[in-house]
Amino acid sequence: MPLLAVRNLRTRFATDRGTVRAVDGVSFDLAEGEVLGLVGESGSGKSVTALSIMRLVPEPPGRVTADSMSFDGTDLLRLTEAQAREVRGASMAMVFQDPMRSLNPVLSIGRQLVEVLQRHQKLGRQAARRRAIELLEMVGIPLADKRLAAYPHQFSGGMRQRVMIAIALSCNPRLLIADEATTALDVTIQAQIVDLVKRLTRERGTSVIWISHDLGVVANLCDRVNVMYAGRIVESAPIRDLFQRPSHGYTLGLLGSTPRIDGPALRRLSPIDGLPPNLIDPLPLCPFLPRCRVSVAACRERAPDRRDLGHEHWATCFAELGPRAP
Amino acid sequence: MWHYLGRRLIQVPLVLLVVSLMTFLITRATPGDPVQIMLGMQTSQEAADAMRAEFNLDRPLPEQYFLWVAKVATGDLGRSIRLNDTVTSLLAERFPVSLQLALAAMLFALAVSIPLGVLAALRRNTWIDYLCTGYTVLGFAVPNFGLALILIYIFSIKLDWLPITGIGSMEAAAGGWWSYIAPFIVPAIALGTLQTAMLTRLLRSSMIDILSQDYIRTARAKGLLPATVVIVHALKNAMIPFVTMATVQFGYMIGIQVTIEYIFAVPGMGSAILNAVVTRDFPVIQGFTLVIAAFFLFANIMADLLYAVLDPRIRY
Amino acid sequence: MAIAQPPATPRFAGSIRLAARQFPRHRAAMVGLVCLVLLCLAAAFAPLIAPFDPVQIKLSAKLRPPSLEHLLGTDHFGRDVFSRLLYGGRTSLSVGLLVVAFAFVLGVPLGLASGYFGGRTDNLLMRLVDAFLTFPPLLLAVALVGLLGPDIQNVMLALGVVQAPVLARMVRGSTLAVREEVYVTAARALGAGPGRIVVSHLLRNVVSPIVVQLTVVFAAAVVAEASLSFLGFGTQPPQPSWGRDMSEARRFLGDAPWMFLGPTGAIMLCVLSINFLGDGLRDALDPRAWRTRRTVAAEER
Repeated sequence: MPLLAVRNLRTRFATDRGTVRAVDGVSFDLAEGEVLGLVGESGSGKSVTALSIMRLVPEPPGRVTADSMSFDGTDLLRLTEAQAREVRGASMAMVFQDPMRSLNPVLSIGRQLVEVLQRHQKLGRQAARRRAIELLEMVGIPLADKRLAAYPHQFSGGMRQRVMIAIALSCNPRLLIADEATTALDVTIQAQIVDLVKRLTRERGTSVIWISHDLGVVANLCDRVNVMYAGRIVESAPIRDLFQRPSHGYTLGLLGSTPRIDGPALRRLSPIDGLPPNLIDPLPLCPFLPRCRVSVAACRERAPDRRDLGHEHWATCFAELGPRAP
Repeated sequence: MWHYLGRRLIQVPLVLLVVSLMTFLITRATPGDPVQIMLGMQTSQEAADAMRAEFNLDRPLPEQYFLWVAKVATGDLGRSIRLNDTVTSLLAERFPVSLQLALAAMLFALAVSIPLGVLAALRRNTWIDYLCTGYTVLGFAVPNFGLALILIYIFSIKLDWLPITGIGSMEAAAGGWWSYIAPFIVPAIALGTLQTAMLTRLLRSSMIDILSQDYIRTARAKGLLPATVVIVHALKNAMIPFVTMATVQFGYMIGIQVTIEYIFAVPGMGSAILNAVVTRDFPVIQGFTLVIAAFFLFANIMADLLYAVLDPRIRY
Repeated sequence: MAIAQPPATPRFAGSIRLAARQFPRHRAAMVGLVCLVLLCLAAAFAPLIAPFDPVQIKLSAKLRPPSLEHLLGTDHFGRDVFSRLLYGGRTSLSVGLLVVAFAFVLGVPLGLASGYFGGRTDNLLMRLVDAFLTFPPLLLAVALVGLLGPDIQNVMLALGVVQAPVLARMVRGSTLAVREEVYVTAARALGAGPGRIVVSHLLRNVVSPIVVQLTVVFAAAVVAEASLSFLGFGTQPPQPSWGRDMSEARRFLGDAPWMFLGPTGAIMLCVLSINFLGDGLRDALDPRAWRTRRTVAAEER
């Protein structure tokens, strides 16, 4: 049984100009210990998917529905808010994009670590403090016992993200969701953070959902990738397979805008032309059609169905794309 | 921080010097002779001259000012022309009364604005938010003496719950804690309503801003209880501008009591200055304004210090 | 070598036109404006509107509650409260307007000079402003009027003097901010004299905060005039005045609540209208607050 099984997740937001379908029928499984990448451009619904799983979507204006969303045997959508709070931060934790703004500026690092330990593990003050020091050492913060009293602004961006990771892993969660966790950081720091997450989650067998618009980082870390566009998963594949056989026009575009990790680094980045899709009145066709460079006649007639490509690889695309040129 | 505090404190006497010079010039440049008002028209020239000599009013203006400053430097604010008392002992009578009223008004402002501002931010576009908006809009518009009359009419005359006068009176002091506190209630509400409106509006808008910050989402993602998220994570941030503004406003409060003191017969600083202005009691005007200005300056310094204490990012 | 074009200064007339288009969308501000205009008209045409002579004593009709004849009742001398309100509005509003004008004439040049010249001038002027701001405004006004003599001209003078420093400091702040901006330097490089720079560049950029602050001054002046009259330092009886009448009403609080409710309501209505108008102007004159379709869409994304 997978750790997390999401079936037909839909998250909508009521706005003045209509309902925005931020997530529109997303289904996927996440196995114990699996590292899943969720990629797509901003507005594709990656973050909202994560927030929906965490039960952090504000309702109203948001509304989260799904056929089922089971985590470790319980349906997350059936939990009361109080029950959801017991899960959040304990068996399911999240690291956010901007470490500059994700830590409370007026509370010490120690306080922000200790409070989650006290909340979920019912540790006493002293025990929580000792554990907090261990955690900071674990994520590679030197002189951890002295840094507990420090405030976020006294840390660099990379250090703050390490603190965020320490907070997220403090209660040994079964699932860690990292939402663009390295986007705001320098490239060298990015690599360090990715390695840290890789090591720590592998040691503990933590499942990870790694959200990014950067396929390069995802390639380095993930077992599997779901590509999202306009609130839907348009392609899902094991990581090697995705790079070898991208099978959706959008994935192709994304790969075109990602520097090859294993190829010559000289290829020019080619961002995908066109505007992001309309999420209020979506086309009854493939949402990527207006920007697609490989569309075929069928694309203009009906919406594509999910097409199985073998090796646990599928895509919703009519175009027959062969293996990618090396 | 201590360095900064030191620098600010050094500036205080300088600003006070400018303030006192201004007060001095205003009192001397305007018409009206305190001695004549005191003694009346029929007095003899000798008596008037003797009195002028006693208060140095017969000397040239610069000399008068420097004599006064020299005495103030030794802690002597001089004697009242009108009342047979020193300015210092008048201050000792009046200042505590005004301070108590200011504290009562501030207490009211805090007790209303904190829950109202927080609740309005948490429950936007609900009745509590509309109540909050209505209260702030009206609070900004109603003059405090008008509100005082309305409150007296309701609570003292129609309902007969609260006394109108009695602040600083012997009976109030002798009759137990309620009879001491009761006369403060209506004036404190009338005096503090404008500040309440300001503080509520500030707290509401900063709470709305803070609740949408990423670190609040982090706090919620940690599974913290809503009370912890609001009080520890949000309110602690919102308190930074709030406390600063409350402290600055408190510094103003002693000086804005005039009308309230007038209505409720409060023997405070405002009514003393009012009388002193009418009778041209120069030493009292100069001494009292000096104390009010000093109080305001210290409140401002206090606000800066509190800001640094509350916000770990600030280091002076 | 090509000469770099100085960055274009925002078009003043254009931005005024944009603001004028924004303003009517602000519902509260329109209500405020309409109320204020009505109040001004009522005060201006008081002799035509007022059903009774505001100062004529008629003891046989004293302390009458509101009725069709006396809409807001009568006071202890049998004078019609509504008529007195209309005439009192003349004092309040004209004091408000004159104080605004006085504060403008006094404060704006001071602030502009201070901000533009900087250095020692700035230091001196701002220390003076600091000292002024150390006094609670009402107390300063009381002191000034009390010492000058209770008289409506002195009230205006005192309130103007009290309000000017606030304006001066604000204008200085805006001036400083604008002074550093590129186009001032650019204009200077192109040989414009200091006078032209002040007038054409600085003024247009500090205009909107000034306009908004003037509404604040207006409201403050109306309340302050009422406060001074209430304390007996402003309008002298039997002339009608909102503040003065409230002071009289104190003695009949239990018997004739309409006597203080009328003027209190009038002051509140007046201040509310001005505050709403000010809020609307603030939004209309601040391009960052303009909510066009495009910005709304961007916010949602």
